[in-house]
Amino acid sequence: MNKIITFWKKGDSYILLTAGGLLFSLAMVIFMISIILIKGFGSFYVSDVAEIKMKDNTIYLAEILEKEEVVLQSESGKSYKQEQTNIKIANRDIFDQDFKWINSQEISKIEYPQNVTVFERWEYGNLIAYVRNLNYNGKVYLTSDKDFWDTFSRAFEKSEENKSEKENLEEELNDVLSPVSEIQREIALMEINFSWKTKEIEKLKQEEGTLQAEINFQIEQLNKKIEQKVIENSEIYAIVQSGDGTEITLELEKVYRFCRPNDMNFIAKSGLYLTKIWEYLVEDPRESNTEGGVFPAIFGTVMMVILMSIAVVPFGVLAALYLNEYAKQGFVTRLIRLAIANLAGVPSIVYGIFGLGFFIYFLGGTIDQLLFSSKLPEPTFGTGGILWASLTLALLTLPVVVVATEEGILAVPKANKDGALALGATKWQMIRKIVLPNAMPGILTGVILAISRGAGEVAPLMITGVVKLAPTLPFDTSFPFLHLDRKFMHLGFHIYDVGFQSPNVEASLPMVYTTALLLIFIVITLNLSAIFLRNYLRKKFKTSAF
Amino acid sequence: MKINVQNSISASFTTDLSKEKIILETKNVDLCYVPQVRTLTNVSIQIPEKKVTAFIGPSGCGKSTLLRCFNRMNDLIPGISIKGLITIDGIDIYSPETKLEELRKKVGMVFQKSNPFPMGIWENVAFGPKVNGIREKAELDEMVESALIQADLWKEVKDRLNNSALDLSGGQQQRLCIARALANKPEIILMDEPASALDPISTNKIEETIDELRENYTIIIVTHNMQQAARVSDYTAFMMIGEMIEFNATSKLFTNPEKKLTEDYITGRFG
Ligand SMILES: Nc1ncnc2c1ncn2[C@@H]1O[C@H](COP(=O)(O)OP(=O)(O)O)[C@@H](O)[C@H]1O
Ligand SMILES: [Mg+2]
Repeated sequence: MNKIITFWKKGDSYILLTAGGLLFSLAMVIFMISIILIKGFGSFYVSDVAEIKMKDNTIYLAEILEKEEVVLQSESGKSYKQEQTNIKIANRDIFDQDFKWINSQEISKIEYPQNVTVFERWEYGNLIAYVRNLNYNGKVYLTSDKDFWDTFSRAFEKSEENKSEKENLEEELNDVLSPVSEIQREIALMEINFSWKTKEIEKLKQEEGTLQAEINFQIEQLNKKIEQKVIENSEIYAIVQSGDGTEITLELEKVYRFCRPNDMNFIAKSGLYLTKIWEYLVEDPRESNTEGGVFPAIFGTVMMVILMSIAVVPFGVLAALYLNEYAKQGFVTRLIRLAIANLAGVPSIVYGIFGLGFFIYFLGGTIDQLLFSSKLPEPTFGTGGILWASLTLALLTLPVVVVATEEGILAVPKANKDGALALGATKWQMIRKIVLPNAMPGILTGVILAISRGAGEVAPLMITGVVKLAPTLPFDTSFPFLHLDRKFMHLGFHIYDVGFQSPNVEASLPMVYTTALLLIFIVITLNLSAIFLRNYLRKKFKTSAF
Repeated sequence: MKINVQNSISASFTTDLSKEKIILETKNVDLCYVPQVRTLTNVSIQIPEKKVTAFIGPSGCGKSTLLRCFNRMNDLIPGISIKGLITIDGIDIYSPETKLEELRKKVGMVFQKSNPFPMGIWENVAFGPKVNGIREKAELDEMVESALIQADLWKEVKDRLNNSALDLSGGQQQRLCIARALANKPEIILMDEPASALDPISTNKIEETIDELRENYTIIIVTHNMQQAARVSDYTAFMMIGEMIEFNATSKLFTNPEKKLTEDYITGRFG
């Protein structure tokens, strides 16, 4: 008993207690990170496809995922345990769902046949099936034929080629048509706004007529070519057979990629794994974001963070400079500091609402009326966009930047400031040459905190410009290159959208983990680069040791 | 020991400056950091040109405060009030017409604790000329070199002008600060206990530098070290509790002071 009392008295118990607290926190963080890591990287894994024969003779072609013990109730009311296996049967268009739980006891045989093929399709997810034959160039090839898979690959390439040619032709057609639609738009506008100017309208209509006549031939030609490509591609198809024996005609045009996982060795699988990661990073999403890449979301996230930093840093730094260098210290400055500190605690959705009301409706609406009135009632800046979202987040992160900058400014030695003034520097020269460089580490700390907070915010973005699928990037090669009015995609919102809004949540779950991993990675990268910059500057501006 | 300042102050002192040209003059300067509390009381003094003048007195008597009036570094302190007249070359430095930056270019300052900027040596010395509008590299180079030579630092740093000033030793840093002030080509240099934080060898070096500068500059140096005042200065002013007690040629003040208080102080009876 005494021993226990001295144990408590000596304070050793508190060492244990605090160490325990630390351990627990660390364990939770590591647990979270490792789940996201494993699940995130796992989603690209190329798993084998099993042919599962059940005792009742049904056959599944599927990837085996996990086993789970469940408690069921028999008809007599007795509960019993049963092991179930989750399998990915894919073929969503036939089976209605991608996944299925089957009773493990009912499985009679599991095999891994060599010639099972997994098709990743542009639509409806994967198709797992046996290939029976291939129709190409008007001939039928059988799997037993020599070099069948080489022919198959060639046919696939040809269909891809046709498809891209067709897309190019369609684009060309659009270009040809655009002057006409331009005039038609003009006519419509005239008829609404200046209906009395019949002469002008008549003239425009005539112009339209001549233009139409000029391009008619071109349009006909293009349409013919497109038609031809469509026909050509409809003649490249394979007959495949799913696990339950259904025969399906698969036009190769609908296939994004195919592989035969059971026939692949480790190197081939690793290669495919890396290819998938690469595609994930650089490609556009497909199938309402559940497949394909997230490049637009990465781009949108990074660009928004950069725009936000560009907006918040000058304002935050200027505000902090004024507060510390120019303003008379007293009740008012204390009040302002208090207000700024409290502003940091305002829930982010409140900022979102402010952004919607002030930036979008008021500022954006005014800009539209002044500069883009010809496009009204279609809004240009009067609707959500990357500019408004970035500014909203800039506002949200302003307090942290101000506070961190103030700390940086306060850390600048007074001796240096006096020294500069005594040499005949004006106050602004002193601020620019002494205060700002020395406060740079503090400013960067503010930027780091702002990035950490801003990159992960989703709520305010949802009402200021984020969309689940943006047709164009906010920065591209078409004039004026930077399109601040455009809506954009964001990884945080992408996670929410794919994980909770998509029609096929189970199939997209791996994507959620992967995107979460990517978001963490991007935030850490942005932070680390700011931290490295700060450490470099700290070394450069270390204050006198003497 | 209790000193009755009021008594001794009522009698004024005499200073023989007949052979000197006066560059800086104060008349009846009163200074309050806090309303109603005088830190300087009725200070009137004439500083001769191209001579070294030392301010001595017990700590807290207002030596630094008076010194900082000469380049208006006190202006920044909120709530301060300064009365009286301070002229340099006959011009009132507190008049609205005086440009603060030009005054400070003309009146350089070296602080008690060396305060080199966290940049290269060259950048430190060129700081003053640069903020005062000189842009040309060759001209700046020349000014930097000449200032460093005058401050006895050129030989030690000429091969590493781009190295950080913070890597210099304490004494070198203080001489760098002197060079920095000299680069502005000032008329007057104010030094507030420039050697108080240095070891004896560095102190010696600073004193030598001051000795070399006396020909071309008016130097006003605050020191609590009476031997130093006796060594480097031509004139010495003794202050107490914000008042100018006695101002005279150094040789006279130390050998034959007019005031009892001065004698008590220099013989080490208090302070
Ligand atoms: N910025 C200031 N605000 C208020 N009082 C000050 C300030 N600077 C100095 N003082 C006071 O003025 C008096 C004179 O200080 P100072 O001129 O530094 O003395 P010295 O340099 O002779 O030691 C001291 O009592 C000091 O406390
Ligand atoms: Mg002092």
